[in-house]
Parts: sequence; structure tokens; C-alpha cells
Amino acid sequence: MGMFILRRTGVMLLTALCLTFIVFIMTNLYPNLEKLAKNEGNFRMSDAEVASFLSNRGYTQGKLHNYGEWLGVLPGYVIEGVDGKTRGRCSNHGAILENANEYCGVLQGHWGFSSRFKEPVSQIVVTRLGLTGKLMFWVLMVMIPSALVIGVFAGMREGSRLDRSLSSGAILTTATPEYVSGVIFIAIFTSSAVGLKWFKGSATSAMDHATLENFLLPVLTIALYGMGYIARMTRASMAEVMTAQYIRTARLKGVSFANIVLKHALRNALIAPFTVIMLQIPWLLNGVVIVEVLFNFKGFGWVLVQAASNNDIDLLLAVSVVGVVVVLLTQLISDIGYVFLNPRIRIS
Amino acid sequence: MTQDNNFMHPAAEMYASEEKAGKLDRREFISRATALGVSTVAAYGLLGLDAPAVAGGHAKMGGTIRMQMDVKAMKDPRTHDWTQISIFSAGWLEYLVEYNNDGSFTPMLLTSWEANADATQYVLKIREGVKWNNGDDFTAEDVARNIIGWCDKGLEGNSMAGRMASLVDEATGLAREGAVVAVDSSTVHLNLLQPDITIVPGMADYPAQIVHKSFTVETMVSNPIGTGFMLPENLEVGVKASIVRNEGFDWWGYAAGKGGYVDRIEFIDYGSDPATHMAGFEAEEFDLNWETTGEFVELFDSLGLVKTQVASGATIVVRPNQGHAPYDNKMVRQALAMAVDNNVINELGNASLGVAADNCHVGPMHPEHNPDVTRAPFDPVKAKELMDASGHGDFEHELRSLDSGFWKDTCDAVAAQLRDAGIKVKRTLMPGSTFWNDWTKFPYSATNWNHRPLGTQVLGLAYRSGEAWNEFAWNNTEFDGLLAEANSLANADERRVVMGKIQAIVIDEGVTCQPYWRLVQRHNVAGLVGVDMHIAYLPQIYKWGHAA
Repeated sequence: MGMFILRRTGVMLLTALCLTFIVFIMTNLYPNLEKLAKNEGNFRMSDAEVASFLSNRGYTQGKLHNYGEWLGVLPGYVIEGVDGKTRGRCSNHGAILENANEYCGVLQGHWGFSSRFKEPVSQIVVTRLGLTGKLMFWVLMVMIPSALVIGVFAGMREGSRLDRSLSSGAILTTATPEYVSGVIFIAIFTSSAVGLKWFKGSATSAMDHATLENFLLPVLTIALYGMGYIARMTRASMAEVMTAQYIRTARLKGVSFANIVLKHALRNALIAPFTVIMLQIPWLLNGVVIVEVLFNFKGFGWVLVQAASNNDIDLLLAVSVVGVVVVLLTQLISDIGYVFLNPRIRIS
Repeated sequence: MTQDNNFMHPAAEMYASEEKAGKLDRREFISRATALGVSTVAAYGLLGLDAPAVAGGHAKMGGTIRMQMDVKAMKDPRTHDWTQISIFSAGWLEYLVEYNNDGSFTPMLLTSWEANADATQYVLKIREGVKWNNGDDFTAEDVARNIIGWCDKGLEGNSMAGRMASLVDEATGLAREGAVVAVDSSTVHLNLLQPDITIVPGMADYPAQIVHKSFTVETMVSNPIGTGFMLPENLEVGVKASIVRNEGFDWWGYAAGKGGYVDRIEFIDYGSDPATHMAGFEAEEFDLNWETTGEFVELFDSLGLVKTQVASGATIVVRPNQGHAPYDNKMVRQALAMAVDNNVINELGNASLGVAADNCHVGPMHPEHNPDVTRAPFDPVKAKELMDASGHGDFEHELRSLDSGFWKDTCDAVAAQLRDAGIKVKRTLMPGSTFWNDWTKFPYSATNWNHRPLGTQVLGLAYRSGEAWNEFAWNNTEFDGLLAEANSLANADERRVVMGKIQAIVIDEGVTCQPYWRLVQRHNVAGLVGVDMHIAYLPQIYKWGHAA
């Protein structure tokens, strides 16, 4: 087991390394650097000003070299610019700070400085990840129980009227992307045009204090999308279990239907949904991007959009690392959890 | 409250007679007379009127106002490229002069200014008794130092240098020796290279915030020394920012009756999509928005919000860049302007929230506008003929714009009209984050321009050869010469003659399609005073308050 986790961690590091390298090369293409320079300096800068801005700040040293600096295997640049000012990577691309280190890469624990937000990347990621964590927690709290309940009810009597209506509902929610359902929710439940105004169509104030009024719609938008899919999986799994030999045996022995479902079928039926739920979490990050922008909730998904549209190199790299960790960590948990749920599976 | 002197510039009396004769409208008169140093009270007096009472007299002290606004990173005021940046720093950094919706200029950190007869020398009187919030006295030295700083062309992105051009030494890119002189502790003399009537309006523009001698960009938020009544509390770029009252600081404006009502202002970022702003308004997350545009004016009205609106020189140019073929061809440019009916663009692209313009970026809100010079007539057939004659009849134009708001609608309408005329056009939509990176360079795109008090000002910033903001890539020595001449003429009629020629050149060269002048407006919840939309988006936050 220890070996297995170790190997998975190795894979995770390797994936992160590859992905960040690709992101790094992409964000360091010259047109992207130009965008960065104009965002940070002045968006009316001339080409010559852009070139001097970039070389003054070490962006034109060569991509491999810069990647090495980001990783922390090469010392951060200290460059005297054509404008006479000396700048350093370890001083946040600004005037040399007294306490600046020689190396300031990821290996030293420095995730860099965001050009968009003018803050250390680590701080931004922690704050924004916390907010998204809050959102995701409530999404999971709504999504998992309701998905399992719907799936079990639909699957325990395959083909019944209950099954048909629940399944149709599940297909409908999972077939409606967040950017459609979110807009519909805002239009129906928040606008003066319809007049219900039960909830708030903006979750900005939910960042400080979330209430049912300002937080339900974003949570529901993401949860409904994932719920349909998990409910379908649970239903399939439940339906299969319900046709198994031992269930028929239990029935013939006169065990009550409720007992069959709860005591005999449920545990076996939940193995598949568990994996699906874990694999669904990285997918939900997609929804987070859309919903956070739609509801102006400034979490991790919003940061991703901001970093990408402003070519904020350090921030994008950190965001991709977080993405890799989330995907592989949920897979790891699902694999390990599987072992506990299904005794037939062994991890060598 | 206003200038406390009785200075009367000779030209002002002349303007007054022009106003009475109907040659100038009242706003133009007030604007020009006060720019020459005549106090607002005296200017209204020349017309036989009483100066209007300052709105906001019914505000009560205290409270918080929350505004929807893009929260951008702070930088040196001289390099501010968005009024949204200035409004945050306006909490503690103030202006020498203030421009108002009625077209007048009122003194803030000055008490008065005087121009000599040909507008080549200005005497600035500094307000006495003003203190920096670190306890230092505010003196003429501070004013002179700031004006000299504005003249520094070497600073990347310093747009004040263009406004102070008549003080700048072309060779060094700095203020000329002897151009700015602190005569005594309360007087500054400006000695201009040539007559310049825009220098006082230039001092009222948003990047002209007055900073302390210890100012550095790095510490401007962490160590906010200024003369204003508020201090920054926090600034999270892209998220929110807040400024709060500087408790215990004796702001000069309290005694002068300027206001300074609210204890706290929060700016909350909702991105650029007005639909999100609407959701925020409906969720009661803010009290006023930055600006309402397009079809959202009607929508916000229907929410029962209070609208404040002002007709301004704010506009949009749908312009070719002459640095790219085929736009170096005059016939192509003329055809692009000629194929477009500006009234239709105002209706479709601007929800009729404006008045049609004449493709020359000078209009009725500018004192020197010559109404006799009008656009080349709308004629799609002739436009197509011109395009074909230029040899680019089959060229497919790519019209770029922002992906939302009136930018998009206007360009869609322009493209539709060009297509109707038989000219091929492709539309490309871009998000603000990428569009503004290259706004001066796109071969064919649309840019919004803010209002400026005098007609010569935008021409100087954007149409003069070699200017950083010359998005037309237009070089015309005749135009440059005429503009310099106009800038030296204090007399309205004389300047109008020159302006007529300038307008004619801009129109004849097909420099741009400039379809309409915009009404600008914002909305607020009931119960606020002094938060009116400003004609030039200037950050006059000390006027904001809750109704008593």
C-alpha cells in the first residue's frame, strides 16, 4: 500500500512537471509576453517599450532558463535594465529587495508573484481555493446524498413509474450545462422581470458571509449537473445488484423489501458510485469556472479565468499544479477507497 | 466654495457678449471664462445670473456607499489610463482644479488662476491653510514640483506630458528651465512656450492628482500621504477595494464647505458584463454603478433605480489604422465613412442614447466647434464606387471590437451598413483583456473616447502626428500646424475659423467614422446625493453622501 501511494505521488510529480512545462512554454510565447507587458505597464505602450519592459524583467532570457528559475534549480535573474534600474526575480520583478534570496523557485517554496493581482501567488491560491472549497463543500453536501437517494430509488424497481420519472429527471439535469441552468435560475428566481426574487443572482456577498439566499443558486447549478450523472450510475449499479442471485435468495426467504435494499443491496451497489463521485470532482472544477464567473464568486475558477486572460504566468502555473493535484488525488482516494469497499480487489 | 477673487479676463467679457448674442451656449461660456481664471460666481454674474447652489447641501455626514467598478492595480497617477484607478486614489490625492458638469472649472487646491491676454502666462494662487495628512504644509513648492513631474516625457505611459506640452522642452523631454516657477509660498507662475488654453483644463483631468514630495509608486498605498479626507483601507485587484475617512485629519474641505460626507466607500468588481451588474443591483450588493450603457439603461430604469445622465463629448471612433494596407489609401477610408448613416448607428448601436456626430471628433459641446463643416454625405452607392476605384473593392475588412456593450452593437451596425453598401466585412469580437493590449494597432477597430472640455484636446491627444494615442496612425503636417494655431487662439470666433479647416481635413481624409456623441449615465439606489454621473467620469467622491 505504501509503495502504491509512493508510486502515485511520483506519477503526480511527473505529470505536474510536464504540464507546467507545457503551460510555461505557451505563456512565454512572445505575443503572450507582449500582452503581459501591456497589462502590467500601460496598455498603450509602443513595441520598443514592450521589448525593453520584457528584457528589463528577465522574460527574454530563454524559455528553459526561465523555467529553471521558476523551478528553483537556477538562480533568479538580477538584471540592470536599460532604464538604469536593477530588478530581480526574487524581488517580485521589481527593485532589488534587501532580503531577496538567490534562488526563488517552487523548490524553495516560492510560487512567484502574480502580475494581475500584485500579490504572491501562494496567497492568492490559498484564499481563492478556500472560497472554492466552501462552494464545493456545499455542492457535495447537496449532490451526493440526493444523487444516491434518487439512484437507489430508481434502481430498486427497474422499469417502474418511479424509475422512469427519476431517470428522466436525472438525464435532464445532467444534459443541461451549467451555463444554461445558471442563467435560467438567475432569470427565474432573482430577476424583477419574473418577480419572484427569492434568491440573489450574485454570490459576491457570499464570499464574506454565505446565506441560503445568496449561495443556493450557484451551489444548485453545479450540484444538479453532477447529480444527474451520479444518479444514473447509482441506478445502473443498483439495478444490477437487485438482479443478483443472493437478492433473489433473500426474497425467497421472505426478507422484507426494505431490509433487502438497505442491508443487502446497498453496500454492493455503492461501490461503483463511489468511484464515479471521486472522478466527478475534477469535472466539477469545470462547472466551478463557469459558475464562479456567472455569479461573480471570486474563487479558484475565477482566478483561472483571470490568470489565463491576463497571461499571468506564475499564477497559471500554480493553477495547473493545483489542477493536477486535485485530479490525481481524487483518483488515489478512489483507488484506495475501492479496496475497502470491495474485498476482492487487492493492491499489490 | 468658488474662486474668491474678482479677476476679470478681458476675453471673458468678450465671451459674455458672444453668449448674449447667441454665438456661445451657456456651458461653453462658463467653461471658457473659468478656464481663463474668472471665478464661477463672476462668470455667472457676467451673464446676469446667480451661480447655482452646490448640490449635496442636503447630505448628512456618515454612512457607506458601495459602487460597482472595475478594481485595477494602482500606479503612478500620471500614468493612470483608467478613471477607475483615479477614483480610488482620489480618496487621499486631490486636484488643483476641478471640472464640473456645467462646463465650469472650480479651484480645489488652488484658490484662483489668471491668464495674461494672449494666454502665454498663468499665475496660480495656492489655497492657504491646506495640510498634508502627515502634518506638512501644502505650498507652492508642492504645486511646482507636481507640474514639473507632469512634464516628464521619459516616464513610461505619462499622459500628463501631452497635456503640459507647452511647458515641455522637446529636446530633453522635461519641463523647460523657468517654465514653472514658485514665486512665493502661495504663488506659482507658468511661462508657456506658446499660447495654450488647455493647460488649466489639463490640470483638471483625472491623472493630475497632486502627490507629496515623498511619493513613490511602491509605497503610495501603504503610505498614503495626500491632502484628501480619506485613506485607502484595502485594495484587492479584480475583487474589491475600500477607502475610509481619515479620522482626526482636519481636511481643508470641511471648513470650505466642500462636503466629505461619507465615512466609507467600497468599490466592488463585477467584471465587464452588464448582466452581472444587473444581478448585483438586484441582489442589493451595491448602491451605484460605474456607468450604464446600451439597452441596460432601460432595464435599470425599470428596476426603479435613480438615473443621472449628462450629454457629453464621450464618443466612439470606428477607425481604420493608416499603418495597414489598404487603409493607407484615402479613398478606402472615405468610403468606409461615407457608407455609414450615423443616425442609424446611434439608433442601433447606441440605443439612441446619443446624438449623431460628424466624423471629426469635434462637436456642439466644444466651444470652438464649427457647425457649418459637416460630414461627407451618407451615400452608399458613391462609397462602393470609391472603394472599387481604389482597387480594393474585393478586400474583406476585419472590424474588431470588444465583445459586449455599445462597442459591439455599434460595430455590428457599422458592419451591416458596409455590407448593405456592398463592402465585405468580417466581425471579430475580443474580450477586453486582449483587445486593449493592441487597441492602437488593429487595422480596423473601435475605441471609445472620453469627453474633454475643449475640442482641441482630443485632437491633440489622438490625432496629432506621433502621439502615443494616435490610433489612426495619421500623420498630417497641415493638420498639426492648424491645431497648434488653434491652441494659441483665445478668441472663439478666430479659433472657430481654424477649427473649421481642421474639421474639414479630418473629414476629407476619412480619418475615422465617429458616429455619435454619447449621453453618459449611471444609476443609483434612492437616497444618495452628489453621486451624479460626471461628464468626464472625474472622481469627485467628496460630493457623495446619503440624503439627510
